[in-house]
Amino acid sequence: MKYFILCFSLLLTTNAFAQKKVELRFITDGVCGMCENRIEKTLLNLRGVWTAEWDLSTHETFVVYNTKKITENKIHEALSDVGHDQICYCTKSKILAFEESYSNINPCCRYRDRNVIEAHK
Amino acid sequence: MTQERINSLGVFLIFIFPYLLYSQSDTSIYDGLNLDAVEVKTEALGSVISLKDPKLKTIISRAELKKAACCNLSESFETNPSIDVSITDAVTGTKQIQLFGLAGKYAQIQVEMTPLVRGLLANSGLSYIPGAWIHSIQLTKGIGSVSNGFESMTGQINVELLKPEDIIDDIVIKNSAKIRVNNYINQGGRIETNLIYGKQISNKWSLGILGHASGRSLIVDNNKDGFADNPIGYQLNGMVRARYFGQNGWEGLFTIHALEDQKIGGQISKNLNFPISSNPWQSRLQQNRFSISSKTGWVNPKNPNQSIGVILHGYRQSMIGNMGSSDDAINQKELSAHQIGGVSQFLFRQDWNKISHTGSIGVFYDNYDINFNAGGYLQGYNRPFVEQNIGISSEWTWTPNEFLTLVAGGRFDWHSIILNSKTRVPFSPRIHARIAPNDKNVFRLVFGEGFRMALPITEEWGRVASNREIRWDQYGSVSGGDQLSLEESTNAGISYTGNFIFNYMPGSITANIHGTWFNEAVIHDYWSNRMRYIYPDLTTSNESEFAMISQSAGISSNYKLDKKTEIRLAYRFQNVVVRNQIHGLDPVSILMPAAFVAKHRALINLSRNFMKSWNLDMTVQFHGKQPIPSTHPRAPGLSGEIISYGQAYNLLNFQIRKNTKNGDFYLGVENALNFQQLNPIDGVVNINGDLLTPSNPTFTENFDATRIWGPIFGRMIYFGLNYKLIN
Repeated sequence: MKYFILCFSLLLTTNAFAQKKVELRFITDGVCGMCENRIEKTLLNLRGVWTAEWDLSTHETFVVYNTKKITENKIHEALSDVGHDQICYCTKSKILAFEESYSNINPCCRYRDRNVIEAHK
Repeated sequence: MTQERINSLGVFLIFIFPYLLYSQSDTSIYDGLNLDAVEVKTEALGSVISLKDPKLKTIISRAELKKAACCNLSESFETNPSIDVSITDAVTGTKQIQLFGLAGKYAQIQVEMTPLVRGLLANSGLSYIPGAWIHSIQLTKGIGSVSNGFESMTGQINVELLKPEDIIDDIVIKNSAKIRVNNYINQGGRIETNLIYGKQISNKWSLGILGHASGRSLIVDNNKDGFADNPIGYQLNGMVRARYFGQNGWEGLFTIHALEDQKIGGQISKNLNFPISSNPWQSRLQQNRFSISSKTGWVNPKNPNQSIGVILHGYRQSMIGNMGSSDDAINQKELSAHQIGGVSQFLFRQDWNKISHTGSIGVFYDNYDINFNAGGYLQGYNRPFVEQNIGISSEWTWTPNEFLTLVAGGRFDWHSIILNSKTRVPFSPRIHARIAPNDKNVFRLVFGEGFRMALPITEEWGRVASNREIRWDQYGSVSGGDQLSLEESTNAGISYTGNFIFNYMPGSITANIHGTWFNEAVIHDYWSNRMRYIYPDLTTSNESEFAMISQSAGISSNYKLDKKTEIRLAYRFQNVVVRNQIHGLDPVSILMPAAFVAKHRALINLSRNFMKSWNLDMTVQFHGKQPIPSTHPRAPGLSGEIISYGQAYNLLNFQIRKNTKNGDFYLGVENALNFQQLNPIDGVVNINGDLLTPSNPTFTENFDATRIWGPIFGRMIYFGLNYKLIN
């Protein structure tokens, strides 16, 4: 029983010391479930990102991150490094991925191609 | 501030690489592009309780099974809060499970809807389903569906093994084959190898072969009592399966399964220092099985709401064992049991708009020949018998909207043994209800009746290992096959499951209260001094009395602490009482606590992923104190004082696993706190610590290997690996 209490209190303390988290929403271009996996995995692998979700139908990315560990720029950079274009709500500015990173993604995920988009409909 | 940063980043990128601006309009180079097949792999959660199902059903996936070294089905419940895995007995080496504090035999355990852990394999059948073969487990708490038979008294466990398509698990390519290998070794000397092979033969046919070989040849006696801590022996187990997917909605699965298992336990160590003339106490058990099964199904291609399924299953299994020493012939026990049987089931399903109906007609036939030989009253006890049954069931599901599901079913059985009974009507009603006020919270209700036929000796073979004299009471003998071996119960329960999101992380909480009341039960008396009575029917004199009552309440919660850490906390209270007789001039029967059932159980499971490919899993199990068979000369008494208890203890298991591209390997420790039950076997060591021979009067009088409530072996380190070979 004592281990039970010990572990439980340990968990509570880790949560209590959790740092400030910030929500961030922006649009990420993508077409399929593979894109979803890639976007979410990339974001979750970043240190300081608490949770990340991408919605296939709205293309909206939802990220919760810790401001002390990562900056918003780093999040956008990470996504453009794996080849995803993004649009920020706040500034209406578009972040385009490098051509090399874009060409590295699987042919089926080439969201800039109208044929690919059609193929996923 | 943030806006500026984003602006500057975008401008920065465009400034440095101006051609990016044009990249979007330039699609001509992708003309004639071939899209590869899309492979979407979402990580399956370990164990999930569906909110849509009207039953409280947990689905345990392979991801969950990897959290512990599960060599077989019984061990796969070690991270599960609803099932208790009891301690291995030193003689047969099989782990038993408990649901609601009641033995696993009261739950209907099926392999793909066919019986395996039943009849003569009810005792050790769980160890004949290797963990590496398991695809998923569906665990239903509370009485199960009526279509599958009358035997799910406390719940239902259905195990799906790897089918050819699960082994190949790629997009169908003709002639593609796959081999998976699993190896395991532990400090206790157990070695295990599993070989899994799958091949796509043609467009319609695929083949799967599951092989298992395990054994233990190292005799370990850590507590120096002369008895091996684990029995030695081997198990060979194999299954060949063929899968058919045809046109017009037809599909089929055909399986051949064969196994052979041998175990030797007891005083088997070479250095016992016994006189040459004395024969040590040993136990031998040999079991085998051969079965063929065929499952075919048809879904009406014109109307997918109509489907038909036919299951045909035939088997032959045997259990041959003996225990004791020829120096103490009166306490020697011999068993030779054979079972030949078959099951056939016809299921049909029809869906209308809001109502669906599942009907079934099931037939089973079992021919038993059980030879049991023990000293005293049970010299040469043999009565072959046949148990056969035809049952029809009908189950209606009404789903008026997404907030409510009602399932009502009934089953009538023409059972060859029960039909002769005047009092029992073989009708089993079942009701399940699901009420979901919203899409995050679900309340469930269950009520139903079930029954089964007991085989008191073969089911409890490990509990026979004592010099207590086995006796039937005055109501009659019961070895199975007569009306007295009927066990009948009513099960009812309510449960709540809710999903929540806290701190952006998902979690779920489940609370349940279940009760099971037995009108009839075959009871093993653990409380009478130096006796092991088996009471077939203690409630004849007063029909309103219950033979056994189990009440259980539990709460468990899964929560993702952060993106890499998951935690499971569970607590359960269970109170199980069993009717026992007080032997005296005027025999009376009273409710006594059930042996080996702890009132309080708790579990913490923590799993963490680190450095991308490493996993750490830790499980702490708290076992409350368990009532254990008394050695008090006046037991059982009217006051509870003379019940002896085993002490409460904790088990800490942890495991570290590294995933690689072609498999994974794992290293773990079971019982890391090194908890051991001292002197688990009575009467085998004298005060000076000398080992006693079976002919020694102290041994003859006191020997009892059934009072084991805790681990014997102590800390155990294991290592295993899984890898894929593709050709």
